[in-house]
Amino acid sequence: MKNLLIIPLICLLALSACKDEKRYIYEVEEQEIYQSANEKQNLKTTTQFISIAYNDLFGSNITTQQLQQFDVALQSFGDKNIIQEMIVKNLINRGGTQIPSDNAMRGDLPAFVEQTYLRIYNRKPNEFEAWKLKDMIEKNADITAKLVYYSLMTSEEYKYY
Amino acid sequence: MKRKSFIRNAALAAAGSMVVPYILPSGRLFAATGARKVNHVVFCLFAGGVRNIESMQKADGNLMPNTLLGNESISSDIIGGMTSLPAPVSNRLQSQGTLFKKFQYASGPTGHYNGHITAITGNYSDEAIKLKEPPKYPTIFEYYRKHNSPSTSALNAWWVSDSLGPYPYLNYSAYDGYGPLYGANAIQPLSLLANSNTILNNPLTVSNTEKAKCDLLREFANGQFKTPAAIMSNSIKNSADDAENLDAYLRQLMFETANGTHTNQWGAGMNGDSYNLYFASEIIKKYQPELMVVNMQGVDVAHFEFTKYVDNMRKADYALARLWQTIQSTPGMANDTVLIVAPEHGRNLQPNSVIDTYGRYALDHTNDEMTREIFCLIAGPPSAVKQNQVFSEARGESVDIVPTIAHLLGFKTEVPTGMMQGRVLNEALV
Repeated sequence: MKNLLIIPLICLLALSACKDEKRYIYEVEEQEIYQSANEKQNLKTTTQFISIAYNDLFGSNITTQQLQQFDVALQSFGDKNIIQEMIVKNLINRGGTQIPSDNAMRGDLPAFVEQTYLRIYNRKPNEFEAWKLKDMIEKNADITAKLVYYSLMTSEEYKYY
Repeated sequence: MKRKSFIRNAALAAAGSMVVPYILPSGRLFAATGARKVNHVVFCLFAGGVRNIESMQKADGNLMPNTLLGNESISSDIIGGMTSLPAPVSNRLQSQGTLFKKFQYASGPTGHYNGHITAITGNYSDEAIKLKEPPKYPTIFEYYRKHNSPSTSALNAWWVSDSLGPYPYLNYSAYDGYGPLYGANAIQPLSLLANSNTILNNPLTVSNTEKAKCDLLREFANGQFKTPAAIMSNSIKNSADDAENLDAYLRQLMFETANGTHTNQWGAGMNGDSYNLYFASEIIKKYQPELMVVNMQGVDVAHFEFTKYVDNMRKADYALARLWQTIQSTPGMANDTVLIVAPEHGRNLQPNSVIDTYGRYALDHTNDEMTREIFCLIAGPPSAVKQNQVFSEARGESVDIVPTIAHLLGFKTEVPTGMMQGRVLNEALV
């Protein structure tokens, strides 16, 4: 009788011993990290300014020849702000930029504001910035996407990285 | 009223009436104390390294006939290498001022960069060449803009350089309390204007209404960003109105340069120096600046071609005469401008081994005694500058030019003692 009890017990133990062990893998959820405005402590060089502006607008690298032409112009005048503004205005006005259309901008303003900040400032807008920019665009029907890009690309923050 | 009270009140009223006019919009109590001798100074660095043997001693003839008196003919063996230029002006610069024939560049390496630093800061430079670093001491532009009261617009100060490289960096220093805030509108005309029209000719058009809205957007963005205090800006900053004015003017010059409006305006054979002084003249006509420094470089070809060096001295002399003509025909600057002309350094007594097609040996500048001997001409109205005066003995140094400009423009006494090594060249002034 005793044996009759032991045998099922052994079987039960053997079965449970063969059971697959559950494996747990722990990992960190992916988060995109953006630079904050306060971390921008370095002034862009003349060539950095031009190549970053080109890339922000066209999504591709500027050619060496164009970079050199713009750089010579920028180095040739003491008030860099004036020449930077000329460069930005000319690049924005070229065909082939990745600036959204005005319809697309007004179709989804929160998304436009966030994408514009990401592209130009390499960071997300804070809540106040997102609200304020959206509000300004909403209240001014004649503000175009190009004008938003022009304004932000000639701002102080855009001179730093 | 008692006599004592009357005297006290009268004294207070008198003191008040004397002090109040000197409390200036800039917040400073007193205006620059020195009286101005003139309201405009143009300093032309006759640069690239000019040897006194060719300039003052006229060993190959009078190569600067618009500047110097005399009609010594050019040496016959090199005459074939000379460009045809218009006849010299009758009223030569020398007769309109004081000439120091043995001016000294007394210390520091006899290189273009160090020579320019000395001339523009009023301090000798023993530093090695640091091509992309600002000078150690403040420049004449910084002294001028910081110590003039009320402070002056950057449109009043121009640094017109003949080439890029280190020269744009000579605009302002990293000296504590000075820097880009007080820099000049620096321009290298040929680099900016010759090719820019192809890349900057199609800007986004922004109406005044749109501009106002863009300004609001930018102001908002700027308000959210704290500019790092520790970083020195790489740019001077004009006021908004001045920047708009400059933007329009530069685009006009770019357009005109592209369509040939400015080509060979001073005759065929214009070189880099000629164009630099030509565009300096255009800026004078447009803005009548109070302080302008302009340089030349063409004579530095002397390292390889002596005869071309001589020819470029003649071209520089002719361009200088045209610059002076422009000044004298520009309302506001005529008879109220002092022109200072000096090379940054000289050239070696002994030639190098490079021989040109006319059989002449080339000249370097490597710190021998001859490279330290230059000239300086101070020309201007008789009310400010002694006329037709020549100092043939060694007198005056490169470092004296900046304090002399500061004195002429009335702010010398405002510059803290010990900042400038030199002295005012009073012997040239009335």
